[in-house]
Amino acid sequence: MRINRELIRAPSAGLDFQVIFGHHQTPAIRAAGLIFCSGMLAVNPETGEREQGTVTSETRRIFENLKILLESAGSSLDRLVQVHALIYDRIEYDVLNRAYRQYVPDAPPCRTVWSTQIEAGLKVQLDVIAAA
Amino acid sequence: MTSKKISVTPSNTRLDIPNTFGLPYGTGSKAGNFIFLSGLIAVDPVTGERAHGTVVSETRLILGNMAHILQSSASSLDRVVKTTVWLQSMLELDDMNGAYRAFFPNDPPARTVCGARINYGMKVQIDCIALV
Repeated sequence: MRINRELIRAPSAGLDFQVIFGHHQTPAIRAAGLIFCSGMLAVNPETGEREQGTVTSETRRIFENLKILLESAGSSLDRLVQVHALIYDRIEYDVLNRAYRQYVPDAPPCRTVWSTQIEAGLKVQLDVIAAA
Repeated sequence: MTSKKISVTPSNTRLDIPNTFGLPYGTGSKAGNFIFLSGLIAVDPVTGERAHGTVVSETRLILGNMAHILQSSASSLDRVVKTTVWLQSMLELDDMNGAYRAFFPNDPPARTVCGARINYGMKVQIDCIALV
């Protein structure tokens, strides 16, 4: 039997990047016991306004947003399997870690970090896969 | 019970990019319910040569080739759950997004886009995870 994709819609207006930014993507897709999330950014979850800030403030906002998204799909931050953490500059690696560890205190998921250009001058983007 | 890993080989061997360029990775792997494709760059499906172009032309070639490769493994673009897009410059996000849209007319997969330097001076690279 073929397994199909299940679309996970934005749980709040601000997290619908397809509507707000025109990004041609679904917030998350559930398939075969996993949830694949689109790259999450530091935006206000109600209004979608981008919140360019520090690596710390953006990381916090992103985790709060991921929490809302994953919980709306019956998952949670402690079910994260893999994280790609994109930051604008490796020099802030320690800063990322300091904020990051607060959200995954126990048995943190596997993770890869790289530095890259992120849209709209944002400093952090988290691309995650979670257990459904 | 162990599950099997199967290599993905495109019917059009010109699209077996690592084979063409003698690189030590596979075009894709199939395991469990998923197919994982390596990051695709724009190659001409007739000659197998790299096709440097605009962000739009490269995006179109990549996604056309991705469709072919997935179909060779009994999957398809509408079974893609996640893509990662690397762009030479995030200033061209909208150009990529516009070309990308045509290949996923309904319910696009989850996606992350970031800016990066890409091998051979290409402007776009896209990888994906799809359901078999």
